[in-house]
Amino acid sequence: MSESRNLPDWRSDLVRSIALGVAYYVAAQLSLRLALVGENITPLWPPTGIALVGFLLRGRRLWPGVAIAAFAVNLPISATAVAAAVTAVGNTLAPLVAATLLLRVGFRPQLDRLREALAIVFLAALGSTLISATVGATTLLVSGAITQDQFPGAWSVWWAGDAMGILVVAPFLLTLTTIREHPLPHGWKIVEAIALLGLLIAISFLSVATSLPILFLVFPVLGWAAWRFQQPGAAPAALLISLFATWAAVEERGLFAGQSLADQMFTLQMFNATVAFTSLFFAAVVSERLRSRRELEEAAAELEERVLERTTELSTSNERLAEAQALARLGSWDWDVVSGAVNWSHEMYRIHGLRRDDGPITFERAIELATPEDQARIQATVARALQERRELIPDIEYRIIRPDGSTRTLYGKARAIRSTDGSVKRMVGTVQDLTERRELEREHRIAETLQQALLPERLPQLVGISLAARYVPAEEGSAAGGDWYDVIELPDGGVAFVIGDVAGHGTEAASVMGQVRMAVRAFSLEGHAPGLVVGRVHDLLRSLYEGEQMVTMLYLVVDPTTWEATMVNAGHPPPLLLDPGGGVTYLESPTGLPVGLNWSLPYEESIARLRPGVALVLYTDGLIDRRDVEVGEGLERLREAATDKVGMDIDHLCGALLEALVPADASDDVAILAARLDPVQERLSLHIPADPARLRSVRRNIGRWLSGHDVPKQDAEDIILASSEACANSIEHAYGPGEGSVDIEAKVSGGEVTIVVRDAGRWRTSRNGDRGRGLPLMEACMDSCTLTRGDAGTEVLMQRRVPRSPSA
Amino acid sequence: MSDLASFAVVSADEVVVGFLTGEIDLSNAKELEAEIEGAVPNTALGMVLDLSALTYLDSSGIRLLLSLAGRLRWRGQDLVLATPPESRCRRVLSLAGIESTVLLETTVDEARARLRGPSA
Repeated sequence: MSESRNLPDWRSDLVRSIALGVAYYVAAQLSLRLALVGENITPLWPPTGIALVGFLLRGRRLWPGVAIAAFAVNLPISATAVAAAVTAVGNTLAPLVAATLLLRVGFRPQLDRLREALAIVFLAALGSTLISATVGATTLLVSGAITQDQFPGAWSVWWAGDAMGILVVAPFLLTLTTIREHPLPHGWKIVEAIALLGLLIAISFLSVATSLPILFLVFPVLGWAAWRFQQPGAAPAALLISLFATWAAVEERGLFAGQSLADQMFTLQMFNATVAFTSLFFAAVVSERLRSRRELEEAAAELEERVLERTTELSTSNERLAEAQALARLGSWDWDVVSGAVNWSHEMYRIHGLRRDDGPITFERAIELATPEDQARIQATVARALQERRELIPDIEYRIIRPDGSTRTLYGKARAIRSTDGSVKRMVGTVQDLTERRELEREHRIAETLQQALLPERLPQLVGISLAARYVPAEEGSAAGGDWYDVIELPDGGVAFVIGDVAGHGTEAASVMGQVRMAVRAFSLEGHAPGLVVGRVHDLLRSLYEGEQMVTMLYLVVDPTTWEATMVNAGHPPPLLLDPGGGVTYLESPTGLPVGLNWSLPYEESIARLRPGVALVLYTDGLIDRRDVEVGEGLERLREAATDKVGMDIDHLCGALLEALVPADASDDVAILAARLDPVQERLSLHIPADPARLRSVRRNIGRWLSGHDVPKQDAEDIILASSEACANSIEHAYGPGEGSVDIEAKVSGGEVTIVVRDAGRWRTSRNGDRGRGLPLMEACMDSCTLTRGDAGTEVLMQRRVPRSPSA
Repeated sequence: MSDLASFAVVSADEVVVGFLTGEIDLSNAKELEAEIEGAVPNTALGMVLDLSALTYLDSSGIRLLLSLAGRLRWRGQDLVLATPPESRCRRVLSLAGIESTVLLETTVDEARARLRGPSA
């Protein structure tokens, strides 16, 4: 093969041709020594086999080498050169035709199939050699080398010799060329091969060397070789046996002793043929069986591998399913309604706090795990599904009690599978453990409810100050904070604005917020200065929580007569000031530390003079804090957002700021409190629900309005008392609980204050004799007091002259 | 409940001294009355109610005071109000015309002395 790469085709062909010719010639010379008839007919003619193998493996174009060699072999033993040439043609044609036929039928040199054995026997050995035998024997006859009587014998010996040459030599040579394809014997196989060879030689030698007719004993050995080693064992063995047999025939030994030439010839040919057939077929059959077994094994192995692969895939996906189920707290079940068998997934057991070996699950047992109040509900749902033969079963949320006594909240989804007659044969479903989620939701709801409950239910109605506020709880799942705001009407007519943020979250922060808010209210109503109020809140928190609870807050008091704002800032973002004349700024002040921590310093007050028309926006850090934004930047963003909203209605302003700055999924609570300071009006108009709790607000508003008109304190207090008393009368006598409203109108003109209180109810006679004190009190407070009762309601008109202030 | 007014017992021996702050109106009078009455044990001589820090009082408050005085008297106990002459409360009591109906003193000490007086 390597030669063909280095040499041109014709040169390598020439070399091979010569090599084949030389081999042919040498083999011929050796076999002629075994000639039985004349000098040129031998019982075994290997050159034909050698030529066939050469043509099969290296191509039929090598024929000239064979032809020349055949001529060279025949020339000395033929009568004439022509006879030699004709014989050579026959000798060349036989293997050439044999090779052509074999290639035509798709012959494989491995000889491992039965068809190869059949082809080499019938097409090559027995068929093609008819040519060489006929040509050779005829040439002998024509040239006078043999008589006509000798012709059949010569022909048959020639034919048999060529056939044997092919049968015995070709398999051996072919095996040699394909030996690499066979695994090399190793270990005991080598020992076995040696033993086989030894036994073969021993039997053959004995049958030649002695007169014992034991040559047939080689057959079991040949069978052994074919069975154990196939062609690589059988072909050499056959060759060896044939050589021994031929040698024995020539020497007239053993089996062949005392026989005629024809008998010897016949016996030898039969024997060699049997050996050749046996080895060839047996080896081929064994090879074929082995191969099909190997293929079967390979197929089985492949199948096994694929099964293994699929099993692995399946178990991997099963594991993934189990993992996914565990992650989602999702169990699945399958209930065969007919047999009653229930199959639970692994997670299903875990959710219910059961183990697989706790015994089989049945429908009844599964139901019993639910709380008593839920059992009936589940049973009803299932019964309805069975009865109505529905595929879709409504989802159901229910609770179970685990064996350890703990309760879990589950969410079940199920589907019915119907058989052909429409009845439900199976039900499948999933169960999700919602316990933690429900608890979180509950916690969040409580915190939110608490928070909302602790915030002012409504903002007070203030004369001269418009108010708006918003509280936006954080998204569910994140921490609900302790943000709060408050507006407190102070006893002296001032209004305190409070905003703050309790550190922490959840119900705890909300409850602390409630406490702080009430403390701020209480201290404010006691009439303390802003710095003192915040200081007291600080002291209270410190003593309650031992310095562990931090709260930032802003406390800002506005005096509605002077528009003076007094502010205390305890670690809180500064309030935003929207001035129609001066743009948007922050109301800066010295910022103290948050209240509640373990330190003790007075809270500093700072004073700013505001103007009517300005709006104040107090807020918690949820409005400006973003994870990706620094505090300074957050403040700037708020300022920018407010720039085009200066003149906006105060309620819209709160909404617009939230929309501009707070994302929908805010992680922190946001509280906003906005106030606009309106100029003092000549007229005061109040409209309140008939609720005694609103009396205070009426008094504060009238008080601020009166002080806005510079009404002296003593006069103001009497007017306030009379007004509040009139409202109380309306609330108490005009309506039943929780209905109706009261209108209050007030005006100052010509040094006289007029108050009108109206209700739409009908005054009922008091059951309490003491109630009659209200009207005399009002009359005592005012210069005049007129009560008009009509179908439309009751009106109280009161007037009092007040000293005019020089500034008014 | 209400943050409008608050009541506290300052001292309690044979005389209970109570301190009222804030405002009394229709919204909290009834509640306060019950609270105050509950603070006086049967064994006490009576009660002194300090109204000096009360910033607002209307007819409901007057009703409260009169009703409380009546209930205590029914138990054999007296109610003495302590309120300075210039205070808001004194003004309202005067406007309502009940200055002479109730036992009224200027200071807590005087009120206490008045309660103990007759027995001493």
